[in-house]
Amino acid sequence: MKNQANPWLTSNLFVLGLGLLPAAILIGALLYFTAWAFAFSFTDLALVGRKSVEWSWVGLQNFERLFTRRGFLESLWTTVIFVFFSAIVGQSVLGFLLAALLRGTQSTIRSVVEVCIMLGWLLPDIVAAFLWSATTSQTGLINQLIIVPLGFPPINFINEYALPIVTIANIWKGTAWSYLLFSAALDSVSREVVEAAKVDGATPFQRIWLVQLPIIRPHIATNMLFITIWTFTYFPLIFAMTGGGPGGQTQVLAVFLYNQSFSRGNLGFGSAISVAMLIIVGLLSLVYLRMLREPK
Amino acid sequence: MLKKGFLTTVAAVSLMAAAAIPAKAEVSIMYIEAFGALIEGGIADFEAETGETVNAIKLPGQGYDQRIALDLAAGTAADVNLVDSFMVSELAAAGYLEPLGTLAAPWDQYQYYLPGLLEVASYQGEVYALPTDTDVRMLWYDLSNFEKAGIATPWQPKNWADILDAATKLKEAGVQYPFQLPAGIKQGEATTMQGFYMALLGADVPEGDRNRLLKRDTNQWIGDSPALRRVFDLYHQVYVEQELNPADLNYATDIGAAVRQALADDKLGILASGSWEDACLWDCNNPPSREDRDAQVAWTPFPGSGEPGTMAATNISGGWTLGINANAADKEMAFKLITTIFDEDNFKEWTLANHRMGVRTDISESAEYTADPFLAEATKLAAETTGRDTIPGYQTVSALVQQATSDLLDGASVDEVAQSYHDALVDEFGEENVITYE
Repeated sequence: MKNQANPWLTSNLFVLGLGLLPAAILIGALLYFTAWAFAFSFTDLALVGRKSVEWSWVGLQNFERLFTRRGFLESLWTTVIFVFFSAIVGQSVLGFLLAALLRGTQSTIRSVVEVCIMLGWLLPDIVAAFLWSATTSQTGLINQLIIVPLGFPPINFINEYALPIVTIANIWKGTAWSYLLFSAALDSVSREVVEAAKVDGATPFQRIWLVQLPIIRPHIATNMLFITIWTFTYFPLIFAMTGGGPGGQTQVLAVFLYNQSFSRGNLGFGSAISVAMLIIVGLLSLVYLRMLREPK
Repeated sequence: MLKKGFLTTVAAVSLMAAAAIPAKAEVSIMYIEAFGALIEGGIADFEAETGETVNAIKLPGQGYDQRIALDLAAGTAADVNLVDSFMVSELAAAGYLEPLGTLAAPWDQYQYYLPGLLEVASYQGEVYALPTDTDVRMLWYDLSNFEKAGIATPWQPKNWADILDAATKLKEAGVQYPFQLPAGIKQGEATTMQGFYMALLGADVPEGDRNRLLKRDTNQWIGDSPALRRVFDLYHQVYVEQELNPADLNYATDIGAAVRQALADDKLGILASGSWEDACLWDCNNPPSREDRDAQVAWTPFPGSGEPGTMAATNISGGWTLGINANAADKEMAFKLITTIFDEDNFKEWTLANHRMGVRTDISESAEYTADPFLAEATKLAAETTGRDTIPGYQTVSALVQQATSDLLDGASVDEVAQSYHDALVDEFGEENVITYE
């Protein structure tokens, strides 16, 4: 087709430049913040005080301290546990099981369960944090409803099992996403293929494991990519529920980053932590992106 | 031709509109809810007097210090800001606050401020904020739980062993939080002031500032000392070794509310906190009657460790201030808002009703103030008090102290924590600015 654009528009570089401006600003802003964090990870920039205006370059010092000072490696380990159990095992597996189980059920049951799952997702993080704190405290719902009536002394769950509690809270909060994604993915598996497998004598487990799962493999990888990235950097629910405590039991990297940058006021070190997080998430994404490729 | 004209006009108008949105003539103020009664009274008077609108940003206390630092650093802060006094010098050093000397000079009530408190809100000899109140710190205790544990009241602990002893009895009597000693990062300054520094001051002799975080004559931070190790050990005893308190109150979703709830449910034994609790243990802006309060709780000075030569009881004072953003559009108007809030009628009423410790002689020497039994007793503690080491860098050191208590809660040993604290100080301030006491 012939180019129908207004000749005045195509010949006017200024107007074209103006049209490009929004895109340029958007890309610039994205690069600017990343570049900012990267550049300041090599400085001793502080949030307040002299070093907030008269900062200096310190080379790789901040990165060395990630490994030589208490905090980063401990938080990294906490984050790995949190991501693995709440996102990969919890949300993903639970989301898939629900999607697979609810496929054959009546639409009313399906709707009720879907609404329940979605409620957790739609609830603001801070409200969810208050709910979970109230539910798991020594005088909370679980103790009042289950533990005490059974004759056991009340358990201060949030104090004694902080990491499992925030992990469960995050599974409750985030399963909806995986469920929706897997639900849509399973819908896309053509009925004929599954029925052909059935005719060939495949058991229900074999039909899922050998037929459906390989077909929706790209969806699994996409889902893993998303939930790993955002659980790895997830902040509000944990921060509001425990602030990273008791002690450092639930101090994931995002909370550690916040404490170092804004409580301690060391933005340079905080930037180094965020760069390290960027690299880790980037590497994980590469793994998932490889999974997305079609097998040869 | 028409199109060209149209496009050019649209572009020109958009550009002009973007550039010419007029700065709205209003004053903004950011503060924490605990100061609502003082500030909202002042805002009402200000609006009635000037006809201007005040944009009031009221926030919860938790995380407020971080928010204010970030807002000022990012250039998005309100015109007038309530700031914890320890942050003033640091914010001033960064150029975020407006010096108040010239603005305050013509104000007739400026002369009444206590010079010592203005000094806390100063940097390099210039005043950057005006204090709202000051405070003293003490141990509050629940009378009914003390009775249950068989501890005689009025309780008068002489040293740390007496506190731990009482906490043990409370624990045996089934009190859930026998000794709530603020710890960890989420508590912020409360950990440093109400807990750590109160203990530190009584952990060693005052000579050479052996009982402080900073050696004040040389401005060197103390990286390791017997006093620091004793306080680390106190935390270790309370939270790990003797398990005299579960850690969760320090990490509650809303710490203030959780502490108030624990008191209301009779789950609290001893609480290391400050004079504001005379109102805030119930509701900062609307406390119950004197009789109701006295029937429920009492307080005692925080004793020294009992080591030879240490203080019998310790105290450290803080307080909040109001300062002006260096980037405020109309600084005269901002200062006008501050003076309206601090106008004697509004300020005195709030100080008395909330049992805050006065910062101005026209209020603290008034008949109503001196006749108040709580304020009279608390003021006695103020005679022996000290202040924080409010040189730039304090906020970082304070955060490192909080980190240290957090590590102790995790079960790290005193040696390990002392080493990390020392290393972190050296990281931040350099070897030459950190000393060690044997």
